[in-house]
Amino acid sequence: MVADPILYVALPLLTAFLLPLFGKINKELIRLIPGLLFAFLVYNSFALFSKVTSTGQPIIVEIAGWAPPIGINLVYSAFSGFIAGIISVLALLVWTYSYKFKKVEFDNSLKYFVLLMLITAGSIGVVLTGDLFNQFVFLEIVALSSYPLVAFYRGRNGAEASFKYLLVGGFASISILLGIVLIYSQLGTLNMADIAANIDQMPRNIKITAFILLFLGFGIEAEMFPLNTWAPDTYSQAPGPIGSVFAGMTAKAGIYALVRMIYTVFDFSGSFEILLIMGIITLVVSEGIALRQENLKRMLAYSSLGQMGLLMIAFGINTKTAIVAGMLILFNHAVIKSLLFLSGSFLVYNSKDKLIKDAYGMGKKLPLTAILFGIGAFAIVGLPPFSGFWGKLYLLMASADANMLALIALILAVSVVEIVYYFRVVNGVYFKKAETEVESHKPNWNASLAMIVLAVAIIVVGVYPNIIYDYLVNAADALLDKAGYIGNVLPDFVSN
Amino acid sequence: MSNLIIILALFGGAILTYIAFKLNKTLGNIFVGLIAIALPVYFFAYNPEDYSVQFMGLTLQFGFTSFANLFAILVVFLGTATLLYSIPYMNKKDNLGWFYFNFILSIAGMMGILMSKDFVSLFIFWEIMTWSSYLIVVFNGKDTNKIGIRYMVYSAIGAYAMLMAIVLINKWSGTTSISHFFDTFANYSTGAKVLSSLLLLTGFAVKSALMPLHVWAPGAYSNAPMSYTSIFSGALSKMGIYGMTLVAVVLYMNTGMDMFGEVLAWLGAITAVLATFWAVFQTDIRKLLAYSSIGQLGYIAVGLGIGTELGVMAALFLAILHGLFKGILFMAAGAVEYRTGKTDFKDLRGLIWKMPFTFFSALVAIIALAGMPPLSGLISKWLIYEALLNSQHYFLIILIFLSSTAAFLYCFHFLYGVFLGQREDDIEDVKEAPVLMVAPMVIISFILIGLGTFPDFVFDQIAIAMSYLGIENVSMDMSVLTNEWGNKVYLKHVNTLFMVVFAVFFVIISLVSRKRTRSVGTKDIANAGEPILPEDNYHFSQDFYKPFWRVISPVMKYRIETFYNRIGNGIEEFFQFFRRLYTGNGQTYAFYVVIFLTILFIVGATII
Repeated sequence: MVADPILYVALPLLTAFLLPLFGKINKELIRLIPGLLFAFLVYNSFALFSKVTSTGQPIIVEIAGWAPPIGINLVYSAFSGFIAGIISVLALLVWTYSYKFKKVEFDNSLKYFVLLMLITAGSIGVVLTGDLFNQFVFLEIVALSSYPLVAFYRGRNGAEASFKYLLVGGFASISILLGIVLIYSQLGTLNMADIAANIDQMPRNIKITAFILLFLGFGIEAEMFPLNTWAPDTYSQAPGPIGSVFAGMTAKAGIYALVRMIYTVFDFSGSFEILLIMGIITLVVSEGIALRQENLKRMLAYSSLGQMGLLMIAFGINTKTAIVAGMLILFNHAVIKSLLFLSGSFLVYNSKDKLIKDAYGMGKKLPLTAILFGIGAFAIVGLPPFSGFWGKLYLLMASADANMLALIALILAVSVVEIVYYFRVVNGVYFKKAETEVESHKPNWNASLAMIVLAVAIIVVGVYPNIIYDYLVNAADALLDKAGYIGNVLPDFVSN
Repeated sequence: MSNLIIILALFGGAILTYIAFKLNKTLGNIFVGLIAIALPVYFFAYNPEDYSVQFMGLTLQFGFTSFANLFAILVVFLGTATLLYSIPYMNKKDNLGWFYFNFILSIAGMMGILMSKDFVSLFIFWEIMTWSSYLIVVFNGKDTNKIGIRYMVYSAIGAYAMLMAIVLINKWSGTTSISHFFDTFANYSTGAKVLSSLLLLTGFAVKSALMPLHVWAPGAYSNAPMSYTSIFSGALSKMGIYGMTLVAVVLYMNTGMDMFGEVLAWLGAITAVLATFWAVFQTDIRKLLAYSSIGQLGYIAVGLGIGTELGVMAALFLAILHGLFKGILFMAAGAVEYRTGKTDFKDLRGLIWKMPFTFFSALVAIIALAGMPPLSGLISKWLIYEALLNSQHYFLIILIFLSSTAAFLYCFHFLYGVFLGQREDDIEDVKEAPVLMVAPMVIISFILIGLGTFPDFVFDQIAIAMSYLGIENVSMDMSVLTNEWGNKVYLKHVNTLFMVVFAVFFVIISLVSRKRTRSVGTKDIANAGEPILPEDNYHFSQDFYKPFWRVISPVMKYRIETFYNRIGNGIEEFFQFFRRLYTGNGQTYAFYVVIFLTILFIVGATII
């Protein structure tokens, strides 16, 4: 079978447009075809990733035969490929989970799966593309397919949340576009490698302005405080699995864009410190707010923002250990947060307000879901032998190597806060008597399967992290190797 | 690899037991029994080898040191005893698979800690031990938020202090190997020395419930099922002692850090006094034993804090001893709870003839705890006093003396309140606990009696263990008190003397008073010549020691928990401020973006 980075983007987009036609043939097809597609994307990820790790060279795809500085290209490196792989696996699991999600009405499920494919294609596109404007386009695809997903249930709250996202997301779009315009006006190119190679030719004030605009735009997508105000509403109003899509895909796309911009495109040394500081603020504020949330989905959302803060800290420290830590946290966040969102939405399935206290007593009614949520909670606070532990350990080791004692203490203090609010929920689920009469809803087999796969991944990686360690180191090397990135995309470029 | 097998076997055993209980309760119980028996057999049969493995670019090393071996014996021994005890004790409860899963997992965690030769694997097993014990603390579902989360939070604070030390040590010495840290500790800068040892000590002190980090302990000890508390207080808390001893001994070998020892000794003494006082006023046997446990761990910390050879030896001896007698006491409390369903002093009385074996074991344990001859509690107390005397800690002697004396009060309260006094009708049909519950208690109490006569058995092990720490040739003979005239008092001879005197008096009194004794009922008493009617019960156990309480209550009302709670609430209130930032209003959100952009531009402008 063929495996090519271009298929990541081309196939989902094509299928998304053809899906209504398939639906005319047979209604079942609108559920089956996305599954086949996502399965293929997962295969694609494994095939490409083994190729990249065996050759040690990134795969560069030139679209329509135009060489990079002029044409658009995709860069499948160990770094971007790893994230693309996570996104595709997650997409497959979300599809598995929502295969029988709610009643299958033709319109709704068509919309749902089309949007899911678009959001996947967009997120992977952001990660793979080597062209700044192309990245903007993919981010817009992600954003535009997120808005209707937030308002999927057509309620007042959903629409409001979606509108807030639209409002803030609009700022992101304008700001990114302006940044790109500034760069293009100065350098006459949109290719990231080309920009990176010639960035020192830009006047310093314009460079800073462009940087700030892009930082703001990507910061909104990467859920950086205080730009993440839209996130809690959207996470809590969207359907359950979409929470995991936001945490695992769109936020990853945002942080990737941010990291790629800071590491590769621009050359400000101070930008790492800014990322670090923003990460710290995001972490502390979000986890602090999560502490007293009464709404389960909002709590998970704030906790997710906190994890994004950790991610920014990891990439802000800017050492190899820190990037390995960052990749681990990225993996953990995608896997663990997805598990929490997926299982959490069953715990409060029939509750109107999705309150934590509606999940009380569910431990007896939904034993499997409750234990999966418990595993997720244990993993996210960083207890060994679950995978969350290694991410935290590596982040702490990286901060120790960078002599940031206060940062270590801070991260650990925040972890204690995490323990408090997650264990309150887990205790409530298992030991508190149900206060309200909320009927439990058993997850069907496909949803259980998706959650079990995630839980198994958490435990396997936690017990034996060596299976992903080498990939993480490769990814970290790939990200740090800026000259290599430029050289691979522009073979003719001679460094001066 | 052979080293890891015992841990892997325990992990596997935990999972298998869980599955077995899902299938059939009897099968599950058989599994528990098998694991309980296999644990010591395997432990003593196999030959330890060192083993190391690369994990995430870190080297994890495993292997028993002779020092860890001392604690491992305690863990294995108590593990077997409590697992066997659990089978009847827990039999009526639901969800047993889950209970034993965590029980065995926490034993595996303890073995793992003792087997770890590097800090990362030590931390991993430490955390596994912590969360599995947490799951047992909340097993009965009572007070899960107050007690459970408190336990988890304090454990996390301790563990994270340790983790911080670990990553710093990794940075400073380039490896997480424990022995490498100890070897190179002398080369660290003063700041690094202070920071690493302070953080490590904090981490270990939480588990051994040293004040002011003890807040979790009374609740956690009394809330867990007694069969688990027995090993929780007996062996799990000793993991803290294990780590503290390692760190403390290193500190003393590198002079300039003795101040830590003083602090540790003082904290230990304060713990011993206050916890003992609290134990005196408890109305629940489980709580009483929990506080008593904290107090005893305080003694151990005093011994470690003094840090002389004698002091460390005394601490280790007491650690082993405490594991044994506290094991018995919690089991006895569990047996009483199992048969009567009650743990409050006001509901219990006169069980002595109903549960004679339990009473006997508890009596032996109490004698050992109180440090009375002829049991080896005397030796441990003696050693601690002597160590304090030799190192001129006179004020600490007063504190320890105070606490030992106060300990008699709760010891008496426990024995009297539960076993003595007049029996009431409601416990008339109480029977002795099942064999599997009684046997571990009785066996351990015989071991305690044996150790009273032959304490050298433990001291030999301690000598081997301490030689690993670089302190050679310790033995009980070290305990020699001399006066100005050169007269010498050997503890060994004192102990032998006590044994002989006790044996002689026991025989003589038994013989002499054999004919004069007469069996009477518990209500066959006369008060100032007035016969007491059967319906009057003159047994009292409520408001025990009220006058004493009246004296000291003004001091005792200052509790550190209130302080901690205030801090916790303060933090939560502080974050409420941030919560208000998320107004839910789209316009505000857009405004934030604009403000942030402005700030970025201002920052950017200053850079230009």
